Parts: sequence; structure tokens; C-alpha cells
Amino acid sequence: MPTPRSQLLIAMLGLALILAVVLPSATAIGQPAPTPATEVKVDNFTFSPEVVTVPVNSTVTWTNKDDVPHVIASTNATFRSKGLDTDDHYSFTFTQPGTYSYYCSMHPKMTGKIIVQ
Amino acid sequence: MSDNKQFVATASGVIEHDHNHDGVNRRGFLKCMAWAGTGALCVVEAGVLKSVALGAQLGSSKKQPTASQLSFVQISDSHMGFNKPANPDVVATLKAAVDRINALPDAPEFILHTGDITHLSTPEQFDTVDQILKSTNKEVFFVPGEHDVLNDDGAMFRERYARNSKGAGWYSFNKNGIHFIGLVNVMNLKAGGLGNLGREQLEWLEDDLRAVKHSTPIVVFAHIPLWTVYPQWGWGTDDGAQALSYLQKFGSVTVLNGHIHQTMQKVEGHVTFHTACSTAFPQPAPGQAEGPGPLKVPADQLRKVLGITNVDYLKHRHALALVDSSLE
Repeated sequence: MPTPRSQLLIAMLGLALILAVVLPSATAIGQPAPTPATEVKVDNFTFSPEVVTVPVNSTVTWTNKDDVPHVIASTNATFRSKGLDTDDHYSFTFTQPGTYSYYCSMHPKMTGKIIVQ
Repeated sequence: MSDNKQFVATASGVIEHDHNHDGVNRRGFLKCMAWAGTGALCVVEAGVLKSVALGAQLGSSKKQPTASQLSFVQISDSHMGFNKPANPDVVATLKAAVDRINALPDAPEFILHTGDITHLSTPEQFDTVDQILKSTNKEVFFVPGEHDVLNDDGAMFRERYARNSKGAGWYSFNKNGIHFIGLVNVMNLKAGGLGNLGREQLEWLEDDLRAVKHSTPIVVFAHIPLWTVYPQWGWGTDDGAQALSYLQKFGSVTVLNGHIHQTMQKVEGHVTFHTACSTAFPQPAPGQAEGPGPLKVPADQLRKVLGITNVDYLKHRHALALVDSSLE
């Protein structure tokens, strides 16, 4: 007959085993994935990544690492930054789903896209 | 041998485009390019314009312009406020450009600035440029670059430099029998596009030219090149060709641009296109780098790749002579 002490040990082990099985699935059920912090780097007259896909209510932050200023402007007037010098950044929170094409209004060959799902 | 005019594209000589007598072959498109102080000698041989490395042909055949009727200077891209490699001191290099202007043997009557006066459109940056250019004691005519219209759609630019202008800041004026037109092609740029003049400005241009005799020489100045230099880098104007179509009937047209921070020249029919160096920093030749950003050069080379352009109108030859000179 197991001692009370070993009974306790077995019970604890059993509980640990049950928790190890149950807990991971508990977090997987009904919880949305955490919103990624989305960064777009502006450098060398390019937006990287050029196309970004984010969930609704995400905030996208552009950081200018280039040695000239740039202006982030959506093609449909949804958002527009001031002139961003080197190391300046600009953030916009997308509350509506859709595809947002944007470009640099100073150097319009620079284009990018935010897809909000 | 007989028909050998020399066009030198750097400080040691003169670019002459003799629109009336021209020995230049018009079979399409001619290009003569001077890059980064290396210079090119454009030689007309048997009616064809060719480009030859400088040094191969110089010497006593240097032509000095005879008494010109009008002389002016083009400067460009001073980018006041820029402070990164290759130029931590754009104030000093702009002052050096002013020294150059003040030392010209044929004193210019006025100055054209083809834009990117400032780097970030701030009042302080505009003020500093004004202050420095004051010591030329010359009138300065400006057109904006994309760096000059950052946060206010160009309101500050127009307030300072284009009070009597139309629209985004375009205007024209006459000097000594030459008609000058300042155009704005840095506003309302479309995604994926090049420079843009827009319908309102084009209509104004067509109308403005109606009153000008076809024999009157025209000088058009705008920031971004009106011809397509390198579209991958945005070096061109989407509706530039339409503007140029209004100029077809004129016997002498000179188009002065900036934006690309290097000298480049093209002759097409009666039109001479010219881009000036920056007084702030050079940019790479088309396709020679990942992008069109500032080109880093060793400090002792910097002033060799910055410069000004002197323009002389030689009335007796109905020709404009363009001389590019570096700051050093």
C-alpha cells in the first residue's frame, strides 16, 4: 500500500500530466492570435516589405532609414504622413478591411501595399 | 574636316547650339552627356554630334563667346538642411557657388534656381538660402522641387518666390528679347508616375505662348527633367511631351532642369535640354547604383562634382551657349 507521501506524489504527477494535455488546447481554443507589430522599412527608395498583410485594427509603422526624406501617402487619401526625415516614423491604425495602395508623394515610383483582412 | 564645330561640356569651353545654321544632323535623337566632372567634348563631324572624352581634343580651339546680349546663371538643388555624406556642409558649398557666380568674367544679369532649394521645406532653410544668394546682388527666379512643397502644397514657396504666379507657381517673363517660362512639375504626383505638369498648367502654357513670336528664343525651366532621362528613377515628366509639342514652332528653345544632380545634355531639333549639377551633393549616373540617392564621394572630390551653369545668349548667332563649371 503506497504511503501517504507517495500517494501525494502520484496525485501531483497525474495532475501535471492532465494539465500538460489540457492547457495547450485551452489556449488554442477561442483566442485570436496576437496582433503582430508591423514595421515597414523605408530605405534606398524602397518600402520593405512591399506588400504587408495585417488583421483589422493593426497599426503599421513606417520608419525612414534612407538618407533623404519621404512622404507616405495612400492613393485614396486615407492616410498621409508629413515629410519624414531620416529616422522619423509614421504610424497608422487600420480599422477597416481593404487593400490600401500607397506611395511616396515625393518619389512616386516608390509604391507599396497594405492588405487589411 | 570642314564642318568641325566643338562643343565642350565643362568649364574649359562653351556649348553652342546654333539653331539657325545648324550643322547638326536631325536624324532622330542626339545625346551628349557630361558626367561628374569627367566632361565630354561634343564634336560635330559631318553633321553628326559625337561625344569624345575630354583631353582628347582641347588646345587653342577654345571659343570665347563674343559680346553676348544676355548672360544668366542656372543653379540647382541646394538642398539647404541636408547634412549627410557626402556633404555635411551645404551652406559652404552654396557659398562656393555664389563665389563662382561673383567671379564670372561676364557678369550675369540674374539667376535661375531650378528647385530643391531646401531639403525639408522649413522657413529656416528657405531663409538661409535667401541670405546666401543675397550676396550675388542679383535677382533670382525660382521653381520648386519636390523637397520645397512638403507639408503645405507649396504655399510657402509661392509666398516667397512666386507671388504673381498662377496655380502651383508657374509664370513667365521677358528679358532682353528672350521669353522665360518657369514650370512646376512636382505637385500632384501620381503613384508609380514621373513628374507632372497637369492640365491647368498645360492650358496656361499653350495660351502663354500664343503671344510670343516664333523667332523669340524661349527658355523653359522646371525642376524634374521634361524629357525622359531614366524613368526607373522617376527622372522624367509624364506630360512633358505635351508641353514640348507647344514649343515645336519656335526657332530656339532651351529647357533647363535640375533634380538629377549631374549635368546632362540633349539636342533634339530646335530644342536643347540641359540639367545642372547640384550645389549640395551628386547623384549616381542612371542605373549605376541601386537608387537615385546621394552619391558618396571622397571629401576632396566633392566640389568637383558640384557646380553652376552659365548661359550666354549670343544674339548675332541666335544661339545660347551653356557652360557648366564645377565648384573646384
